[in-house]
Amino acid sequence: MPELRRTDLRVVTCLASADALDRLVAPGHGARALRLAPDESAFVTAPETAPEVRREVADRVAALEDDAVVRDVGDGWAAWRLTGADARDALAWVSALPPPPPGAWIQGDVARVGAKVLGEDDGLTILVPAYWDDHLRTRLIADAGAIEVTP
Amino acid sequence: MSSFDLDGRRIPIEPGDTLAAAAFRSGVRTFTRSIKSHRRRGLYCLTGDCANCLVTVDGVPGERACVTPAHDGMRIRRETGWPSVERDVLSVTDHLHWAMPVGFYYKVFARPRWLWPLAERVIRRATGTGRLPVRGAPAGRARARSARCDVLVIGGGVAGLAAAATAAAARSRVIVVDEGEPGHALPPGGARTIAASLEAEARAAGAEMLTHHTAIGIYEGASVPLVGPDGLVEVEAGRVIVATGALEAHGVFPGNDLPGIWLSRGAVRLATEHGIAPCARAIVLDDGTGDGAAEALRGVGVDVIEVRGTIVSANGGRRLTGVTVDTPEGRRSFACDGLVLSLGLSPRDTLVRMAADDPVTVAGDAATPGCSIEDAVEDGRRAGRGEPVVAREPDPWPGLGSGGFVCPCEDVGVDELEAAWREGWTNSEIVKRYTTATMGPCQGALCSRHLAAFAAAKGAPSAAGGRTTARPPVRAPRLADLVGGVHEVIDRRTALHGRHVAAGARMDRSGVWLRPGTYGDVAAEIRAVRERVGIMDVSTLGRFEVRGPDARALLDEVLTLDVGRVAPGRTRYLLALDEAGYVMDDGLLAALEDGGYLLTTTSGGADRMETWLRDRVDRRGYRAHVLPRTGELGAINVAGPHARELLGALSDDDLSRDAIPYPGHATITVAGVPCRAVSVGFVGELSFELHHPRSRSGDLWDALLEAGRAWDVLPHGLDALDVLRLEKGHIFLGQDTLPDDHPGKLGLGWAVAMDKPAFVGRASLERMVALPLERRLVGLRFDGSPQRGAPLAVDGRIVGRVTSCTVSAALEEGIGLGWIRAVDGAFPPVLASGDLRATVGPTPFYDPEGVRLRA
Repeated sequence: MPELRRTDLRVVTCLASADALDRLVAPGHGARALRLAPDESAFVTAPETAPEVRREVADRVAALEDDAVVRDVGDGWAAWRLTGADARDALAWVSALPPPPPGAWIQGDVARVGAKVLGEDDGLTILVPAYWDDHLRTRLIADAGAIEVTP
Repeated sequence: MSSFDLDGRRIPIEPGDTLAAAAFRSGVRTFTRSIKSHRRRGLYCLTGDCANCLVTVDGVPGERACVTPAHDGMRIRRETGWPSVERDVLSVTDHLHWAMPVGFYYKVFARPRWLWPLAERVIRRATGTGRLPVRGAPAGRARARSARCDVLVIGGGVAGLAAAATAAAARSRVIVVDEGEPGHALPPGGARTIAASLEAEARAAGAEMLTHHTAIGIYEGASVPLVGPDGLVEVEAGRVIVATGALEAHGVFPGNDLPGIWLSRGAVRLATEHGIAPCARAIVLDDGTGDGAAEALRGVGVDVIEVRGTIVSANGGRRLTGVTVDTPEGRRSFACDGLVLSLGLSPRDTLVRMAADDPVTVAGDAATPGCSIEDAVEDGRRAGRGEPVVAREPDPWPGLGSGGFVCPCEDVGVDELEAAWREGWTNSEIVKRYTTATMGPCQGALCSRHLAAFAAAKGAPSAAGGRTTARPPVRAPRLADLVGGVHEVIDRRTALHGRHVAAGARMDRSGVWLRPGTYGDVAAEIRAVRERVGIMDVSTLGRFEVRGPDARALLDEVLTLDVGRVAPGRTRYLLALDEAGYVMDDGLLAALEDGGYLLTTTSGGADRMETWLRDRVDRRGYRAHVLPRTGELGAINVAGPHARELLGALSDDDLSRDAIPYPGHATITVAGVPCRAVSVGFVGELSFELHHPRSRSGDLWDALLEAGRAWDVLPHGLDALDVLRLEKGHIFLGQDTLPDDHPGKLGLGWAVAMDKPAFVGRASLERMVALPLERRLVGLRFDGSPQRGAPLAVDGRIVGRVTSCTVSAALEEGIGLGWIRAVDGAFPPVLASGDLRATVGPTPFYDPEGVRLRA
């Protein structure tokens, strides 16, 4: 049985020209860089490192383009972690997306809503807009057989 | 003893019974009537392949009684026949068969054209299988979900389970789908033992079993829809292994549809699994594929006569009474009440024939009908490893006799096929359409190979004389299952959803959101806002931050207002038009202190606005960034005469009119939560929308309720909002508007800066406003209690309708908005709305000078 845990993550978004984002050096602090669109990148990071990540991204992109927008939009996202030996298989019951290998990510429909799926060493992290938080949780339990673990 | 109700009769249930087995044990022999001739039809295949036992189960029509487990308390209705299946007056049509030749409908009802609609009603009532439930509570919504796997195995028999075990052992993600439980379709004995072992092996290797699900098609990809008890599962499979087994050949000879004639496996299943004798005396024709029918029947006390030869005819009226057979010894007749047929096997290949270029492998009986268990295991192993499986051509199909039904579902006989051919329909696809053979509930399972053989025997070219095209669905799914995913509404919830529910709010669907309609007392909620202070969760409003050197140019192009006139710290009402000049959305534009803009839209218009803005950026190459903030920001509207005092109790910031002018905005901190307070006027009172981080919505809401106790604060929902905004004369887009409304019709001309050189919709609007208005939205005052949607009339002529209305407690009269058309070039000042008098008047109805919202 995969285990399902709510996870607290922040998302720092950066809107800039494609050229600037192509040249942008990703921040440190263990942030995962997601190039969502030619003119949009997001950096997923832990809450405690989010301010540093935001600052680094803002500083670095400012050197490339003076009108880029950098925001911590983490409040707009809900994140759930599926862990355990069956975690990757569990995704198959709610999505046609192939589970990304550790370090990779993919975006598309999960439980019929737009989502981003991050591959981890021990499972997957699924991000959806916060207004679909409860929907994702319900479907992962009902359809994917996940057991919710609360701290 | 448990039982079910069959047409008002109690049918006892033995453990393991299907509906068909229990009913047969209780003496039921006629399960359906045929579609055209209303001939009796009894149990035949018992594998779910034919349509002889379709019944209505607890109101759901078209269920196959032979594979549906019986449960206590079920209500079963046989679907055909009038007044009943047993005594069917319409069976007279069986004697009029000569008068209804093939193509009857096309020929008889071509002229006169008016005849067909009348005839159609009669024919539809007399035919068909089951009635859709149209009364009572609707069936629950079906769900749709997705699944993905490396290997999808369709069929949980020996070959399928061997394939699943092998593929899963190779670390593939494997799903096995079966209409019942794995191995359920196998005859009792060694095959089931092997299947059980393979199932255990497959499960241990990680294969997942999706039981009681039916694969109804194979689409490009391969994408395979499965229908199960919970709805639809759309499987994306890397490859598909079809191990659906084989079905027995349907014999075609005169009298071949009489109750008492069985396909061998059906009779064996009834005898061995349910211990029921299908008949007292059986003639058994077994070509060796009949699962030992004679022995099985003798085991339940049937007097069995084994015969070799060709059936000439089956005889009988209500049921079988005898058969005539051409045996090696000559033509012989036998008295019997059962005829058990093993005439050869055919692969159950409908799914395979749908998969043109998809990665599909066929294994076991579906590849080689009648293969041994060992061969089935080997086939499955090879398929599981991804190796090709060599399929063997099925045995020659038994020829058509001199009569009888080729397609029992549609009552198409040998005569009909011959007649169609004579009339020039000379390939199988056209014969199918002309006669409707293969188009019944079994989708050609029994007859499609017969039809192909018929065309081939007539000398049709192989391409034209082959099997007809296989199309989904293989089995008839419920309509609810098919639309489960299409009409699934996934509600968006604000961060305060749990608090609203806990407070007893009635949650309503508003566009894509769930929002409180009321917390119980709408009048009290309205009074709170008008007299004290009320709060509302408005987190559903669309919000966008627009930044960059071209932000103003972008907004000037998309919005009708002059963006340059909005000073930092100020807010303006906005309208967005489409290219035809019609109103698309409205909201507010706030000019931020650092040069950016915050745009708010209606809750339902956010997605479209985002698309609209992004499209303009892309098309025009603006250097502007559009950052959606709808999901990230919560928003609470604090409204009422004491709104400023309430915020003051929770904030150390300057909340004066100078600091937050109307219309304007400022950044403040309320209860420790950073907020952008936007002074708004939608409800007609002093109001502040507090846009804040979504994660802090709960803290802010709780603090406002707690501090607001000093003013007896109440939360309010959409019902109260509808009244409050109407008293102020504000429109609800969608409710008060029509798709072809330009601002002039809505009285919103003041919101359009026609002196701007360009904005989306300007050219169209310019042309429209030059024309006289034929229809406009007006304020209405009623001398009674108005009704929304009621027509508005002048001298008995309907010239409009009421779009919004209420009896206002604050104004002590009925008020509303409504559309009216010009009469003789002028808009009537007084109209009738039912018995009420509706007088056109100016808006706002409440506080027309706007004193209260500037307090």
